[in-house]
Amino acid sequence: MNRIVVTGLGVISAIGNSVAENRVSLMEGKCGISRLEMFPSKFSDVLPVGEIKISNEALKEKLKAPEPGITRTTLLALHAINEALADSGLSNADMSSSGTALVGASTVGGMCLTDEMYMDSQKDTPGSEYLASYDFATTCMYLQNYFSIGGPVNTINTACSSSANAIMYGARLIRSGRARRAIVGGFDSLAKFTINGFNALHILSTEHCTPFDEDRKGLNLGEGAAFLVLEKEEDVRDKKIYASLSGYSNANDAFHASSLSDNGDGPFRAMKDALASAKLNPSQIDFVNAHGTGTENNDKVESIAMLRLFEKVPAFTSTKANTGHTLGAAGAIEAVYCILNLAEQELYTGLHFTNPIATTKLVPFQLYKKTPLTHIMSNSFGFGGNCSSLIFSKA
Amino acid sequence: MFYIHQSSCISPQQTFHDVDLNKLHEPADRKLLAIEPRYDGIPPGILRRMGKAVRMGVGAAMPLLQNNPTSDGIIVATVNGGKEDCVKFMNQIIDYNEGLLTPINFVQSTPNAVAAQIGLLTKNHGYNITHSQLGLAFEYAMIDAGMMINENPLSSFLLGAVDDISLFNYNIEEKSGCHKMETISNKNLYTTNSPGHIAGEAASMFLVNGNETGAIVKVQAVETLHTTDESIMKEKLFGFIKKYLPAGEKMDVLLTGENGDNRLLKYYSCCESLMDNDVTIARFKHMCGEYPTATSMGLWLCCDILQKQTIPEHMIKKAAVKTGYKNVLIYNNYNSIQHSFILVSIT
Repeated sequence: MNRIVVTGLGVISAIGNSVAENRVSLMEGKCGISRLEMFPSKFSDVLPVGEIKISNEALKEKLKAPEPGITRTTLLALHAINEALADSGLSNADMSSSGTALVGASTVGGMCLTDEMYMDSQKDTPGSEYLASYDFATTCMYLQNYFSIGGPVNTINTACSSSANAIMYGARLIRSGRARRAIVGGFDSLAKFTINGFNALHILSTEHCTPFDEDRKGLNLGEGAAFLVLEKEEDVRDKKIYASLSGYSNANDAFHASSLSDNGDGPFRAMKDALASAKLNPSQIDFVNAHGTGTENNDKVESIAMLRLFEKVPAFTSTKANTGHTLGAAGAIEAVYCILNLAEQELYTGLHFTNPIATTKLVPFQLYKKTPLTHIMSNSFGFGGNCSSLIFSKA
Repeated sequence: MFYIHQSSCISPQQTFHDVDLNKLHEPADRKLLAIEPRYDGIPPGILRRMGKAVRMGVGAAMPLLQNNPTSDGIIVATVNGGKEDCVKFMNQIIDYNEGLLTPINFVQSTPNAVAAQIGLLTKNHGYNITHSQLGLAFEYAMIDAGMMINENPLSSFLLGAVDDISLFNYNIEEKSGCHKMETISNKNLYTTNSPGHIAGEAASMFLVNGNETGAIVKVQAVETLHTTDESIMKEKLFGFIKKYLPAGEKMDVLLTGENGDNRLLKYYSCCESLMDNDVTIARFKHMCGEYPTATSMGLWLCCDILQKQTIPEHMIKKAAVKTGYKNVLIYNNYNSIQHSFILVSIT
C-alpha cells in the first residue's frame, strides 16, 4: 500500500507563530502559559492560559482578512493553513482541483464569541455581524471559499480528540481514492465559554499544569491551530517529505461523559488498534506524545493504559505543559510536534515534572536530546469517551 | 458503498411507531416539531438530563442497536446537537457572572454528545465519530461509513443524523433570514414563492454493512460539492449519474430537498432538467422542514418508498407512469453553496 506522507506543516500556538518558532520553543523548553489578556473574564488573574499574544485586529491586518463576522478561531486557522500550503508548495490550481480535500476540526468554533452568541440567541435582540459565525463548520466554509477548495470539505467534532480524527479522515479519503491530497487540521481559540465550563468541572489548575506529576492540579486551557498536508508518496515527486502517517485508530471508552474508565479501556484500544493498523508491535514505538492534560483522571488512566500496552513504556511527554490544552486543535498541533521529532530526530524538554504518580511510577522524558526515532504515537482523548491514536513514522 | 438493513426515524410525521406517511402533520408556531415517543428504552434518570437532540438521536438509535449489539461503531452527523445545552450554559455564565456553575450543560454542549451517549448506553467501544459540516454533515458521515465498510468488509455500523430546533438556534436562524416571514401551512410550502423555509427537526438512524442478503436498499454512491454556480453543479450531477447509475438501468425517482425558499429554486430546476420525462419527481421538506442534516430523513423516506413501492401523494411534484421503483436519486441544496447527490437502489 502506498504510504500517506506529510509534505507541509503549519502551526500557531502560545509558543510560536510558525513551525520554526514552535520548534525553537520546544527545544528551549519554553512554557507559553500566561495571564489571560485578550478578553475580560472574572478568572483572568486566577486561571493561567496558553494564549497567543496577537489581537484579533492585528491578525486581521496581517492576514488581510477584514470581512465582518470573522472569528478568532478562523483567523488562527487561516494563519496556520497559509504556512502549511506554502510549505507544501500547493498552487491555486492544486487547491481548486476536485482532488484536494479539506478536513478541519474544532470544538469551540464560533463560541469564542460567548457574549455575542448568547445575545444573538435571545429573541428580541438585534442580530450581530456574527450570526453565521457560530457553527463549528464556519471556519472550513470560510477556508473553502478563500482557497476555492474543489474536493470534499468536512468538519469533525469529537471534543478534545477532534483533530486527530480529522487527520484520520483525510488519510482515509486519500486511501479510498476520494481525494488525491488532504489538508487536515484543527483550530480552537480561548473562550469565556470553555474557561467557565472546565472550571465548573473543577479541572483547571490555578498554576502551570504539571502533566504526569503526582501533585498535578488540573489543566491549563490554550488556543491555536495547525494543519498538515497529506499526500500519497507516489504523488510527491521531489517535494520534501517530513514523515509518514503509518497508523491510526478511533475507539470509545463508553464509560462516562467527561472522565475516563479506571482501566483506560478506550485509550488502550485506540493505541492497540493504531499499532495494528500500522502493522507494528508495541516495542517498535520510540516515543509517545501523550494526551497528558495534567488532570487527576487523564494522566493516571493514560499511564495505566500505557502500562497495559507496553512491556516497557517508551519515552513520553505532554506538550500541553508548553501550549496549554488547545482542545480541538490539540491533535493537530501535537501531530506537528511529532513530525518535528521525527524529521529532526530529537526529543524536546518535558516541563514541570517533579514526582511520578505513586501508583504508576512513570517518569516523562525530561531533557532535550538528539536521538534516533522511527515510530511515534500521538494520543488524543476527549469528552464522550472519544479516544484516538495516530502513529507517525520516519520519512 | 453499503447496504441499509434497518432504519428508524423520529420526525414531525408519524415515522416512528405504526408508520403512516399519508396523513400530513402540520407545523405549530411556525416550526415543524418532531413527534417524540415515550423513549421506553432510555433510563428515566438519564433521559431527564438529555438535551432534545441527544434524546431524539438516542431514541431513534436504540431500537436498531438493541437488535444488533455487535455494531462496530457509531457514525453520527449533527450540526445543532448540543446547542441547546450550549446556550443554557452561556445563560449560567451570564446570570451568575461566571460564578459557581453546574457542569452538566457544558458536558453536553458539544455535538459529539449524541454519538457518545449512544456509545455509552450500548457499551459500544468501537469507532465513534461526529461530523458537523452543516448541510453536508450527513453526507460525510455516509462517506465515512462507506469507507469503513470498504476497509473492513465484515463490519457493520450505526449511521445516522439528528438536528433539533432549540429556541436558541431558531432565534439565530430567524435573525439570519432563514425562515419564511409569513406563517404558512406545510401543504403550501412549495407555492409561496418567497424567501426562507420552515424550520424543522428529526433524527434518522440506519444499520449499515456490506452484506446484500436481507438488506432493504443499497446506497450506491454519495458525492458532495461546494459551489454557488448552478452550471458547475449541473455538470457534476450529470457526471455522477453517468458514473454510478448501473448500465442499462434508468432513474425512476428524483427526490429533492426543495424547501420552499425561492432563492434556491434555480438549483432544483437545474437538477430536474437533467431528468428524463418518465422520472417521478418527489419532495420531502414539507414533512420535516429544513435542517442541516435533512437528507438523512430523505434517505429514510427513500428506504420506505423502495420497500413499499409507493410514494405518498403529498410528496409528488411530477408523477410518471411507472411499473416499479428501483433507482432513486436524492439531490439536496443547503444554503445555496452545499450540494449533495445520493443514489439509492433496491436490492
